[in-house]
Amino acid sequence: MEIEEVKVVEEVKDKTLRVQLCPGDFSVPLLPSLPPHPALPHVRRKTIAMQFASALAALSTILSFAPVLSAQLGQPAGTTQAQPAATSALSHDLSGVWMQYPDGDVPGVPGMNAVDDRTRPPLTPWGKAKFDAAKPLVGPRAIPGVENNPELRCEPDGPPKLLNLPNPFEIIQIPGRVLMFFELGHIWREIWTDGRPLPKDPDPTYLGYSVGKWEGDTFVVETIGFNDRLWDDSYGNPRSDATHLTERYRRLNHDTLELQIIIDDPKAYTKTWVSPPKLHKLEPTWEIAEWFCVLDEDKAYDDVVRKPAGGAPASNK
Amino acid sequence: MKEVKEKSLRAQSCLDDFSFRQLPLLHPLPSLSSLLPILLLRRKVLAMRLATTFFILGAILGFPLAAFAQTDKQMEAPKTPVAPSALSHDLSGVWMQYPDGPTPGVPGMNAIDERFRPPFTPWGQARFDAARPMQGPTAVPGQENAPTLHCDPDGPPRVLNLPNPFEIIQIPGRVLMFFELGHVWRTIWTDGRALPKDPDPTWLGYSVGKWEGDTFVVDTIGFNDKLWVDVFGSPRSDQMHLTERYRRLNHDTLEMQITMDDPKAYTKIWVNPPKLHKLEPTWEIAEWFCVIEEENAYSDVIRKPAGGISTAPNK
Repeated sequence: MEIEEVKVVEEVKDKTLRVQLCPGDFSVPLLPSLPPHPALPHVRRKTIAMQFASALAALSTILSFAPVLSAQLGQPAGTTQAQPAATSALSHDLSGVWMQYPDGDVPGVPGMNAVDDRTRPPLTPWGKAKFDAAKPLVGPRAIPGVENNPELRCEPDGPPKLLNLPNPFEIIQIPGRVLMFFELGHIWREIWTDGRPLPKDPDPTYLGYSVGKWEGDTFVVETIGFNDRLWDDSYGNPRSDATHLTERYRRLNHDTLELQIIIDDPKAYTKTWVSPPKLHKLEPTWEIAEWFCVLDEDKAYDDVVRKPAGGAPASNK
Repeated sequence: MKEVKEKSLRAQSCLDDFSFRQLPLLHPLPSLSSLLPILLLRRKVLAMRLATTFFILGAILGFPLAAFAQTDKQMEAPKTPVAPSALSHDLSGVWMQYPDGPTPGVPGMNAIDERFRPPFTPWGQARFDAARPMQGPTAVPGQENAPTLHCDPDGPPRVLNLPNPFEIIQIPGRVLMFFELGHVWRTIWTDGRALPKDPDPTWLGYSVGKWEGDTFVVDTIGFNDKLWVDVFGSPRSDQMHLTERYRRLNHDTLEMQITMDDPKAYTKIWVNPPKLHKLEPTWEIAEWFCVIEEENAYSDVIRKPAGGISTAPNK
């Protein structure tokens, strides 16, 4: 148990450097106090906080603490508590640049838990095979030098993983559409709000085909038509072409956007994967910067940082 | 294999779908006549080479150059009766290049016009010589090194020149452009901000726009030097100041003119003739990412065999 922990920490370390290359600056000092993470009882938070203070927090890392958690928590989180949101009259304007709150378990660090590993249902045989074939960069299953994350080949990122990574996104609402711009990979997606139904037999794509509508104060986005080349999260949980993704957005107040992700993927998971709601903070002064995935740069990063950190020889990818 | 097939079908359908029946009248390309002798000479040489190579491939990528080797009619285009004022300042919509190049029914790909390229600087010449384009007179099959082959993000001005649709969306303080090719989007700031003093070099650069009369003028600086400005390997340096001038001539027609001031690569300013785009009110920008595995497969299955190169993958 102890040894396992040390291993995880070391693997996390090389990821730290990558994160430092990210263009965004986190305005940690300005964060307001938040209610506890709905999925975690208070006691757990204390235990975890102590462990992290001596390990992960010292690394000041952003990525990959969720899997460490899941390795230590025996069971998935319980039922989600309702957010203390006003029952009505929330704004239907979602515009703005949004950034994950550090409402995970490491203070000051974005949560990366909108897709929550702890609430993942059992895998189907297809899902298990995909999961076993995945060699993630982070988490308890990471093995330095053999990673095969799709982003290492600069494959375009897509939902839901894109929504889970600790990078800002911007929402723009125009008639008939809601547009989302992700800093990571310079990805944009469109969510049709003109009343059209989901397509019957869409071609599989990285981003899928999305329609959205308001249900009361919740903006509900339904997406189908994914390809199966991406993962749902950073730990190798698969995304099949049968995925029906639901995102539920509420603007709890001017500065806070709530996002809940529900993954119904019967090809990969035996049940619907319901993640707890996740909070995002408005960043009114931020602008989405240009951050493309560029193969040469990713390979250079491999050689200079990732492989030496994992003890693997440079080059040859 | 399947992916390759989809790719070529896609390009094909772009052309098939294109309705060029409603072409408006154009004013002539400025000062083209002065270049005529040079162009004619070059065209003949090119035409012979191209007839034996590129046309045989039947590749979609190759035709613009082959086409421009044959042209003459383009320069005789009659004058356009453009209303002198009161053009719309709404550029919104999905736009597609008119097939106003020399080959009927084919998008022009001449918003950046090689015929107007100024002489290179030594730096520019070295870059151009190092470029191995997939098409054009300097193409050598099997040795191509176009940035698109490793899925580098495409950026202006080249992304404006490729025969694929783009959408413009105007929101307060910004004009957004969405290119189907590579799923690239860019921001043009219209909130009055100035160009940055010392921007970090990027693929898309930093763009600001403003209206000058009925012309929307976009100025962009802060490019990196990793891309070409066209498909023929003409370089783009980090000194480039790009100017795009847009006019919505009528409801269905958007005019775009591209001017490149890049003293590091070219000895003069590169001024291209205006280029027309047609509104496609029923089109929606589809998802078309550059994916390296598909690009490599396309090279192996189509590009290399077409150029007489072994199909054994070596990437």
